[in-house]
Amino acid sequence: MNNVFALAGVVIKELYRRKDFYVLFVMTAILTVMLGAMRFFDNADIVRFLKEICLMLIWVSTLVIAITTAARQIPAERESRTIFPLLAKPVSRWELIAGKFAGCWLACLIALVVFYFFFGVITATREHAWPGAIFFEAFWLHGIFLAIVVALVLLGSVAFTAQSSNATICFIVVLGIMFAGGHLNRVADGLRGVSGNIVYAVYFAIPHLEWYDIRDKLVHDWQAIGWQIVGGATLYGALYTGLLLGLTWLVFHRKTLTL
Amino acid sequence: MIRLMLTLIFAGCFTLATVLEPRFQALRPQTSDTGGFMGELMGESRRLFATQSFIEADVYFHSGYYPTMFDTKEALDKLDMNVKEADLYHDAPANGRRHADEEAGEGFLGQPRDWVERFGRHFIPTEHTHLANGKVAEILPWLRLSADLDPHRIQTYITGSYWLRTTLNQPAQAEQFLREGLKANPDSFEILLELGYVFDRNEKNPRVARNVFDRALQEWKKQDAAGREASPKALVEILDGLVMTDGELNDLQQLLADLEALKLVSPNPAGIEKSIQDTRAKLAAPPVRPD
Repeated sequence: MNNVFALAGVVIKELYRRKDFYVLFVMTAILTVMLGAMRFFDNADIVRFLKEICLMLIWVSTLVIAITTAARQIPAERESRTIFPLLAKPVSRWELIAGKFAGCWLACLIALVVFYFFFGVITATREHAWPGAIFFEAFWLHGIFLAIVVALVLLGSVAFTAQSSNATICFIVVLGIMFAGGHLNRVADGLRGVSGNIVYAVYFAIPHLEWYDIRDKLVHDWQAIGWQIVGGATLYGALYTGLLLGLTWLVFHRKTLTL
Repeated sequence: MIRLMLTLIFAGCFTLATVLEPRFQALRPQTSDTGGFMGELMGESRRLFATQSFIEADVYFHSGYYPTMFDTKEALDKLDMNVKEADLYHDAPANGRRHADEEAGEGFLGQPRDWVERFGRHFIPTEHTHLANGKVAEILPWLRLSADLDPHRIQTYITGSYWLRTTLNQPAQAEQFLREGLKANPDSFEILLELGYVFDRNEKNPRVARNVFDRALQEWKKQDAAGREASPKALVEILDGLVMTDGELNDLQQLLADLEALKLVSPNPAGIEKSIQDTRAKLAAPPVRPD
């Protein structure tokens, strides 16, 4: 377990040494503050527009951080050949995957805390009230979403040869699921025969990442979802993360590491 | 030598630019639609985004409870939404509560098909509500953006003005927005009609309101004569506005004339006929002399 934490620590250090997070955070902050300074029809009470844009920027930024951080972990170790002394420590391949996953996810969570703190401050300033339970649910579900994404990208990093192609494919898959994943059953209803069955199978097989996006509820001040539901979504996310990490190990433990 | 050549080429380019630029400007279509910064940046594509912004205002009005591209037209109809018309023009219930169809579980979402959909509904808005009172202001940024992207989208100005002058009680802002719209669409009887309402109902100035309604009527007639689709419903509303202001100004002769015109197009000619008879009776009555 110590090996896993040691590896995770290295990945977290990498996050704050690289400039990606700072650039994305500053960009998000500047755009949000600029939008916050705008007045529409001399009305100072408008806040949902600002919340929506700020949350969208946070989602884009964290997705970029998660995918780019996770995508380079194993390929970078292979390219620099540091993977050989690492595995000779001895660190098992499973520990390597678990350490990389833990590091990437924790790094994403740290970034997420900073982003949501900023969002909370902006919201509280405009609404003159502290965020309610829905805010913390949104944060937690976002974190679970990132865990699934990191696990998916790690699987991609052992399945695909190039880091860039993995990142691109993962972006497309994640955005595709977010956009259409929840509607595939309706699409399947409209199709006949084998194609309908295939779409239905895909619908049940994919991780439903769209569940973790409760921006509409947060922006429009809906009531909290309830921690039982959040717990269910967490369990679902944990199962998919475990499955994806298991698949990553399955591919990785038989892989020859020479370039 | 090379430097001299480069200087000569640069001077030639600059001279050529000063000659060609005015000609290119002359070649551009001469319209009043400059579109400002957005126009320069996005070209004609901005009109698409203007419609999307207007729809986004409707999404906000329903607090995120809105059909997606995967929902059927029947689902859209269930939610009294029609993006082509004035979605936001209907009154919000005072308490912003859910609609009767939602109470009966017959919203546009329908019954969930499977456990994934059933569980997924916990994470999206599933109740049909409307923003109420001051919260309606939340739709304004999208209407502002829609007007900036497409200044010829008349519905944007009417919708924005409606909420500004009614629920939000900001008639000055409504008037300013409508004047902006009128600048971009000088022949719009719809905007003039709405402007007339601002003067009559909010600023309590029936004289100016009547003039504005009268101009709206002229524009409506012009468009009708030109064979462009002028809404008969708008004609009724314009004449109704004229009748209303005539009554407020106590101009009985004009009132009678406008009532006669309204009777020809009104869906309730019997009611108008009664008003005509009442007005005639008032006109026939001897004037009351002040003591």
